[in-house]
Amino acid sequence: MAEAGARTPPDALLAAIRLLEFPSVAVAKLAAWVIVPMTGALVYEVVSRYIFDRPTVWAYDITYMMAGTLFMLGAAYALRNGSHVRADFLLTALSPKWQAIIDLVLYLGVYFPAIGIFFWVSLGFAVQSVRQQETYPESPWMPAIYPLKIVMPVTLALLLLQGLAEVLKAQWTARTDRPFPPSR
Amino acid sequence: MSNPVLGVVSLVVAVLGVLTGFPMAFMFIFVALVFGYAAIGDQVFYLLTYQFFGLMTSVELAAIPLFLFMGYVLEQSGLMDRMFEALRMTLGRLKGSLYLIVMLVATIFAAATGIVGASVTVLGVMAAPIMIRSGYDTRMSAGIIAAGGTLGILIPPSVMLIVMGPLMGVPVSDLFAGAIVPGLILSAVYLVYALVRSHLNPALGPPLLYEGTPPGGWQKAKEIVLGVVPIATVIMATLGLIIAGVTTPTDAAATGAFASVVLSLAYGRMGWSRFKTAVFRTLETSAFIMFLIGAANFFGAVFARLGSGTLITDALTSLPLPPTAMLLVMLFVIFVLGGPLEWIPIVLVVVPIFIPVVKQLGFDMLWFGILVAVTLQSSWLTPPMALSAYFLKGVVPQWSMKNIYIGMVQFVVLQLAVVLVLVKFPILVTWLPSVTGLQ
Repeated sequence: MAEAGARTPPDALLAAIRLLEFPSVAVAKLAAWVIVPMTGALVYEVVSRYIFDRPTVWAYDITYMMAGTLFMLGAAYALRNGSHVRADFLLTALSPKWQAIIDLVLYLGVYFPAIGIFFWVSLGFAVQSVRQQETYPESPWMPAIYPLKIVMPVTLALLLLQGLAEVLKAQWTARTDRPFPPSR
Repeated sequence: MSNPVLGVVSLVVAVLGVLTGFPMAFMFIFVALVFGYAAIGDQVFYLLTYQFFGLMTSVELAAIPLFLFMGYVLEQSGLMDRMFEALRMTLGRLKGSLYLIVMLVATIFAAATGIVGASVTVLGVMAAPIMIRSGYDTRMSAGIIAAGGTLGILIPPSVMLIVMGPLMGVPVSDLFAGAIVPGLILSAVYLVYALVRSHLNPALGPPLLYEGTPPGGWQKAKEIVLGVVPIATVIMATLGLIIAGVTTPTDAAATGAFASVVLSLAYGRMGWSRFKTAVFRTLETSAFIMFLIGAANFFGAVFARLGSGTLITDALTSLPLPPTAMLLVMLFVIFVLGGPLEWIPIVLVVVPIFIPVVKQLGFDMLWFGILVAVTLQSSWLTPPMALSAYFLKGVVPQWSMKNIYIGMVQFVVLQLAVVLVLVKFPILVTWLPSVTGLQ
């Protein structure tokens, strides 16, 4: 029955992956809704600027903050769903096993070093900003900018966790030569 | 090894790295970190954070998620299906009518979305089953859906032009205005080609058969008024405001998204679960596009810091070529790179190398930008990385990859012909921006 057991990933592996993915999915599903107030803020700005001739001082700051939050916090979720663009036309000639082995090597040799360094640097960047209670001088509203800087290390931490989940998926495929069933 | 040479080596390594099939964004960050650290040490880390932070504080690029939202709302609302049905009812009797309908819907949808994926997918889902049932030619059908859907990245609003504007120092609204005529020319050329082919050989696109009684004139008019007019109005209003210079693209993206939500609600097609789908797709697509932009920006910044761009610029300008030949060489390089690469690295890494050359040759930057945009249309259709073909295959699994590719080749040839026409007649690009008074 060892053969049959290899057809689907063992429950323990699925549970571990779900645990590692949970933060990416939960954060993304919250962050996605930012698009609604973002649209609302700008429509409000357009109406008050062009119809009532009273532009707001805050709308554009809110806009880039929300857009920046939205795309950063979705990055790990996009990795989970396999949407980051790959030029995988050479790879498709290989068996799932070898594709997964190449992926594993690159996760360990490329992904974790790059994202790990990025995490560490952006953490310092955010911590310094929080300490100074930094505001954004390029805007007349001078909003507090440190919350947006915190988004960076959070994004990269999510990417590190999601990367671990991807490694777990790839090692299973490397051993069984079966594509990992897509997560729901 | 001198820094500029190191930069060129890093470009080669990055391209090889991308070919391993690993997500491009992470590969670019890694390669730029390694080569950047070798050349400029710790500074490279600040460059990385500041590139991403710059992206996060850009109001101009905030238009990208908003236009994506607008596109996904319209996709989910089913309004495109309704438009398709209305046109089918009205035009179905003509020879090759489905080609005409696909191009009309593709052009209107291109003016509603800034990307390619949604257009190709929606057209594939709506048109392909009817084309198969009506005995349409597989290659021509696949080609026109893929090529028509790809117009989304050229006809404004276009995510690609939003990214190009700040890079070239041209206002995005001017690029939008400049892309309209070339976009419509492409759309017309595809259409005429398909119609002439199916007129000469009716087997390529037979007229549609109706089950039951054919619709009357009154009913046709009603379907057109309800199915086509409102959506066209929203789109024209959004684009019109940008091109007339009344609002910024970001403002218009928000009002366009808002209008699309209202319109979808008014038509009663948009339920909660469809709205949720649009919201989550917006997040996912924004995330991978913007993250790749950040990574390619970082790579480009390191490359520029190493002085490699200047090296290549000097090498190019010292070639004994007349300006037009030089322009064609640059466009050809972009066309060839469109095979294995995606538009984001091409626009953010390769185009900046060419910009100083273009300036030195004294070409109009707006015109050059549009030439690049039209040339890059083919990057979606040329193998090995032909994303439009993948999207189409995803929704129409009955069509073989081989037929899709062969079907697309004829449209790539048409695209290149249009590029040459635009090179010969720059006024086709510069006329509309000059009329809107912004140039």
